[in-house]
Amino acid sequence: MSETWITRIKVLFLSAVFASIGNYISSSKTGRPITPLEAAPGLIMMFLVVVAGCLVDDLARKTIKVKLPTIIYISLLSILISIPGFSPIAEYYVAELNKMNLLSLCTPILAYAGISIGKDLDEFVKQGVGIVVTACVSFFAIFFGSVIFAQVILMTTGAI
Amino acid sequence: MKYLKDWKVHAFCFGMVLVSELIGSKPFKFGPVGFTLLPMLYALIIGIILAKMKLITMEMMTTAVPYITISVMYLTAKMSSTVGPNLETVFSAGPALLVTAVTKKLAVPLLAVPVGVLIFKMGRQAVGCGFSTSREDAIAIIGNMYGLDSPEGQGVMGGYITGTLLGTIFNGLMASLFCSLGFFHPYSLAIGAAVGSSSMMAACMGAIVEAYPQYADQIQAYTAGGQVIGSVTGMYVTLFLALPLANFMYRICKREPKPAKASANNKAE
Repeated sequence: MSETWITRIKVLFLSAVFASIGNYISSSKTGRPITPLEAAPGLIMMFLVVVAGCLVDDLARKTIKVKLPTIIYISLLSILISIPGFSPIAEYYVAELNKMNLLSLCTPILAYAGISIGKDLDEFVKQGVGIVVTACVSFFAIFFGSVIFAQVILMTTGAI
Repeated sequence: MKYLKDWKVHAFCFGMVLVSELIGSKPFKFGPVGFTLLPMLYALIIGIILAKMKLITMEMMTTAVPYITISVMYLTAKMSSTVGPNLETVFSAGPALLVTAVTKKLAVPLLAVPVGVLIFKMGRQAVGCGFSTSREDAIAIIGNMYGLDSPEGQGVMGGYITGTLLGTIFNGLMASLFCSLGFFHPYSLAIGAAVGSSSMMAACMGAIVEAYPQYADQIQAYTAGGQVIGSVTGMYVTLFLALPLANFMYRICKREPKPAKASANNKAE
């Protein structure tokens, strides 16, 4: 097994464990605790979807030389499995995944990001105010430029 | 065992997750507006504090970088699983998803380049920093066209560093504020949350889900839809539309009547 795959599986396993414990803590606060064991089937299915997505990506890169972001394959796979009527396990899949809170899945990701964030700290302090403000305006603009048009189009097409 | 060498990175991650989740989300209100601090944002802030206290080594920092990309794949799988049951809803938003894939990218140079040039009197750095949200694909584009040691390169690298440090927190608070305004529909906000970078998207979408828990599934489905369309079209829109628009905005702001081709073309050689 290649080094990439060993790292991938190790980090996937650990972040699933961390997320499920975080999920247990946050769900306990709402009064309906979901133990890591209860969340396990959903996490295992997500793990399999992620691994399958990565395999398809590897295959696409090697055989037909198509280089797309890996998340495309994972996303499409997960969408297909979740379509009722099309996928025989759609309802089970969605129900089990719903035991994992979205926010609890995000916390380990940003914890890893938090660990790596320090490497840019010194460089960041050297940046001028202009760069920092311009960058923040760009974050505002991409959000706003999407929300405002989405609102108008969803309203004119009657979706909302 | 070299595969166990990074245990400290994971131990820190676990500790940060525990502390963040135990604190839990905290809403703040200032009259009509407000925002909610989410556990994921604490994790990020704890990281900055630990780095300042020199508890995280440089080696750990660089080791953790690829782990972000790996752990984020769960989020993709989870979000996408909400699309299937909401397939019709997502299809009905198809036009909105397609149009915003372009408009959001064009809004960036339209607003950011003038701010850099007119308010901060920046030079070509304003193009590098303001033509996009300065993520990895933007670095690749600027690196290719101008070189990363050019003023444009300094701009995009500065934007990149600002984004990794402030972007997630900024996005989380901004989305939370937008929700508290009550002016936009949660679906529109959800489409807006597809901002490209995964941690910024997580913070943005997380804030919207927190504000509208009754729409949690649809919000994830819309954001997932936007993110998928964005990741297919994003690079092309940035390269062929946003960058030329940034250069155009730069010339307008500097009141240069003719295209300042010299700078761009010489360095492209």
